[in-house]
Amino acid sequence: MSAGAQPNFPTGGAGVASPRVAHGPIGRFLGRGAREQGGPRFSGVKNVFFVLLLAGISVLALYPFIWLLTASLKPQGDVFDNRLIPREWQWNYTGDPTPVPGDEKLFALPDTPVLSWMWNSVWIGLLAAVLVALSSAIVAFAFAYFRFPGRNALFALILATMMLPGAVTMIPVYLIWNEIGKATGELGRLAFLPDIGVNTQYPLWVPNLFGSAFYIFLLRQFFLGIPRDLFEAARIDGDGYFSMFRRIALPLAKPALIVVFIFELQAKWFDLMTPLIYLRDTALYTLPLGLKTILDAQGAGGGGEGRWEIIMAGTVVTVLPMVVLFAIFQRYFIEGIATQGRKG
Amino acid sequence: MLSRWRKTGLVLAVAALCGVVGTSIASAQPAQSAGVEAVQGHTLNIYGLGGRDDVAQGRLDIANALIRSLGHSVNNPVGGFNDQAFLARLAARDIPDLVHMGRGSIGTYAARGALVPLANCLRSERIDRTQYRKAALSEVTYKGQLYGLPEFTNQITLIVNNNVARDAGVNPADIQTTNLVKLRQANKKMLRTNDGRVTRIGVDPKLPEFFPLWVKRYGANLISQDGLRAQLNTRQAVAALSYAVSLINDHGGWNRFKAYRDTFDYFGRINPMSGNQMGATPFESFWYNVLAEGAPVDITAKFWTNQKGGPITMLSGNAWAIPRGSKNPGLACKYIKALQADSSWLKVAKDRFDLRKRQGRAFTGLYTAKTSADVKIYEDIYQPMGNRDFDNAVSLLVRAPRYAFAIPLSPASTEFRQAWLDAVNRVLEGRQTPRQALNQAQREAQAAINKAK
Amino acid sequence: MASAASTETAGPPRGARRSWSTFRERETWTAYLFILPWVFGFLALTAGPMVASLYFSLTDYGVQQIAGFEKTTFIGTENYRELLNDPKIATSLKNTFVYTLMTVPAKMMVALGLAMILARLAYAAGFFRTVFYLPDITPPVAIGILILALFNGSVGVVNKALGFIGIPGPFWTTDPNWIKPSLAIMSVWTVGGTMVIYLAALKAVPQHLYEAASMDGAGPWRRFFNVTLPMISPALFFTFIVLTIAGLQTFTEVFTAYFGAGSTGAEAPDAALMNVVYLFRQAFEFFNMGFASAMAWLLFAIIMVITAIQFVVSRRFVFYQGEKR
Repeated sequence: MSAGAQPNFPTGGAGVASPRVAHGPIGRFLGRGAREQGGPRFSGVKNVFFVLLLAGISVLALYPFIWLLTASLKPQGDVFDNRLIPREWQWNYTGDPTPVPGDEKLFALPDTPVLSWMWNSVWIGLLAAVLVALSSAIVAFAFAYFRFPGRNALFALILATMMLPGAVTMIPVYLIWNEIGKATGELGRLAFLPDIGVNTQYPLWVPNLFGSAFYIFLLRQFFLGIPRDLFEAARIDGDGYFSMFRRIALPLAKPALIVVFIFELQAKWFDLMTPLIYLRDTALYTLPLGLKTILDAQGAGGGGEGRWEIIMAGTVVTVLPMVVLFAIFQRYFIEGIATQGRKG
Repeated sequence: MLSRWRKTGLVLAVAALCGVVGTSIASAQPAQSAGVEAVQGHTLNIYGLGGRDDVAQGRLDIANALIRSLGHSVNNPVGGFNDQAFLARLAARDIPDLVHMGRGSIGTYAARGALVPLANCLRSERIDRTQYRKAALSEVTYKGQLYGLPEFTNQITLIVNNNVARDAGVNPADIQTTNLVKLRQANKKMLRTNDGRVTRIGVDPKLPEFFPLWVKRYGANLISQDGLRAQLNTRQAVAALSYAVSLINDHGGWNRFKAYRDTFDYFGRINPMSGNQMGATPFESFWYNVLAEGAPVDITAKFWTNQKGGPITMLSGNAWAIPRGSKNPGLACKYIKALQADSSWLKVAKDRFDLRKRQGRAFTGLYTAKTSADVKIYEDIYQPMGNRDFDNAVSLLVRAPRYAFAIPLSPASTEFRQAWLDAVNRVLEGRQTPRQALNQAQREAQAAINKAK
Repeated sequence: MASAASTETAGPPRGARRSWSTFRERETWTAYLFILPWVFGFLALTAGPMVASLYFSLTDYGVQQIAGFEKTTFIGTENYRELLNDPKIATSLKNTFVYTLMTVPAKMMVALGLAMILARLAYAAGFFRTVFYLPDITPPVAIGILILALFNGSVGVVNKALGFIGIPGPFWTTDPNWIKPSLAIMSVWTVGGTMVIYLAALKAVPQHLYEAASMDGAGPWRRFFNVTLPMISPALFFTFIVLTIAGLQTFTEVFTAYFGAGSTGAEAPDAALMNVVYLFRQAFEFFNMGFASAMAWLLFAIIMVITAIQFVVSRRFVFYQGEKR
């Protein structure tokens, strides 16, 4: 590491030598051992005050979740009774695979492969999130680090793609995928290409290979915050541009990359519109589309019996994995940078 | 510490790989089944049927068996009709052979040429249109042509809560829509407020959505029979709106009224009737099923009547239609016929009756769009539940469709509906008088119709 | 170590840069290589549909034209002229502006406040980070339904809480004057995403700057204004732009609460009619796709102008450590 870069390097708080190693997952979850950030840590009394304040605000954030969770544990007629503790408990998730029609549980509904929908959502979400984080980072790095003709115009163009409401481009985009589908259908037989296009899952994640305006903008902001001396130093050490990106920019922007990863995973996880339009075969469905299917089949509108308890259970199954995932990933937002990305 | 970063990367790469494998497996499956179908003959592609309860599934089984016996196959994924998805399919010329949609949408799509008239279908399959409810058919008739075959009828009747009426000292017989002075008095007696907040609704006029029913009470229609002339600002419409709004204003205004009504759990065990939160309301017939399953109620089912006392009811529901560009319109037609044959309705009704009996629950009847099927179900299968309230309700519902009316389809059905909904809302919010609001709605609706026709 | 020797040649000497033309060229080509993925995706999947929608905005595009039953007719600027004549366009734009003005500053302040507290909490910070992110994990459709439940005028939790401290709450969900504030409050409730961005930004603030500031005798407020704010200004700027765009395009929550699944769809109050909600109805309920496209491009132009102004005005306040000046 060149001495010239040292002064501006975002070091961890003086002498805080990565104490998180000493804590288990619970300790990490509670945030003990976190590096100081945004100023010195609160002292005892202040800390108690803020914890109490936050606990008060938490009620607002927690209430809907507890409502949902308990609603999913009530019998059919009680779902909307607004009691946080059910009058009568009922397990609506799993049960006898061949019950009387109208009494099935969520994971035993006829023609409703909830588990395979979950799996579809999981891999599509993970793949899409990883891809968009990496592709956006590459593009963002170019805009943050390099100077090149047309840079500002191109960046304005990227931002401009965020400004047109998607409702009016939905059908043209669909038609493009339809054409891709036809083309790969023809070519595929010759070149062993998979079928890409409508009624495959490719339209759900392939666009993420090309970066997304929102994340490019976000990551550009973070890359611009990395002191330039670091890169200059790396260049002197003989690093190529890509190596600079990989060894300095990516590790230092890790919190931002995690943010992108989580945002996109969540966006894909809850996206209903794209699967609804592109997928036809029940086996290809993702969880939100599956949930809509259950709503259509079991809700009161379409001749169903208004099985809201099943629908609530399905919603819990959709929401809960994201909560757990966030709880696991949230520590990356505060983890010390000092230990990361330092090249020897 | 780079290795940690690399480890994370590795885990994610593995996840990504799983994904790719997952896609190939998932996309390989339908390809295979499609290959098998191709050998057998045509595939009837159906779109838009979400509900798959026993009554739907039983009839689907019958129709599927018919198509298979002819050497063809059926592809009917679960999922309700969605305008965006349907438009995308139209754009890609990937047109389903048969669609299931709300009757309100039929006119909009028919006016834009996206559906084919069913005259040929009726002729070739000898479907007797006189077996269908006239009002239900008129909901799917555009410019004299039939574009859909209706499935169920959800009909609106007046439901009176006898407990509330007694509690307020109101004779339940006074709660009707012929003598509106008595109804208003009953409303005022039954409603309860506490400290400015409504704690019980007297009579819920179900505005804005049931406004057409109120206009019909005054003997008028919102639109001409051919669906091309809006009649939103007639004398009768203004009177109907003024009266219906007065029932709400008796509660202290729309805000208080709606805030309380929004808390109702219509599908719950404790619903506005069993919880005695409401004195009377017009409601769709499916609600009787909910009421029969919930906590005990004491209700009287009644016809909605016009000023002379004649019964009226408004229908709604879904229908089957064949889109323009359907590759198998003949099969589609056979499919509809099999689904809606009296024998099919009768079989699923019998099965449900048996099922309900095994479950110890009441069979509250089926209300199809076909008179012939309803009569047979009522005569052959239905047995009185022993609960006077519900037996009355059922016999009422069987008779009700005879008196039903439907709002004729216009080429701009959705905008037309939106125009009068907006007008009613403006009056409820106190921003306009009924006359002003309906004049404006008339202008908006007629402009939309003129543009679309 | 090579560093000592190369420091002299490596520093970014301003004057020297121009003469390194081969180096500059290499940098330019590398840059183009790096943005290639985006350019490819843009040309393949985004540019065409955008141009198509611009063209459709000049036509009578509707169901017949989408399905190919009738030819798409070029009608010039008629859709745009109709925009001016439709009073609902003005209403929806006004609603959207008011909503955006209410939400953007509020969201930024609440998110920053929470992030500052969470960043410095000695314990339970991980728990609270998760809890405050929960509303963002709530599907927008559920939020739409929650709005109606929580803000209900007679039994809603909000009014119960207000009543507890002696304030009679308004009829949030029915009174046209209170619909937008309730939507805005609900939007502030989902502040977790913004908060997380700030947390990530706060983390990158070098600790020694705080120490240096403290040594200079700076109190907490001065440290906040002189260290924290400038150092996280790129993230603040990002959220300022992005939240504004998102606010101007608000759709799902509002649609669910007042126009779709959460309501009967009948009580569509004008006070909740956001621009994109009206656009959606024009496109997929009334099937005036040409008109909807014109609406989209009007909104596009508005957002473009607002974003440009934000960029120009913010330039003075945003500080990039790594910017090449």
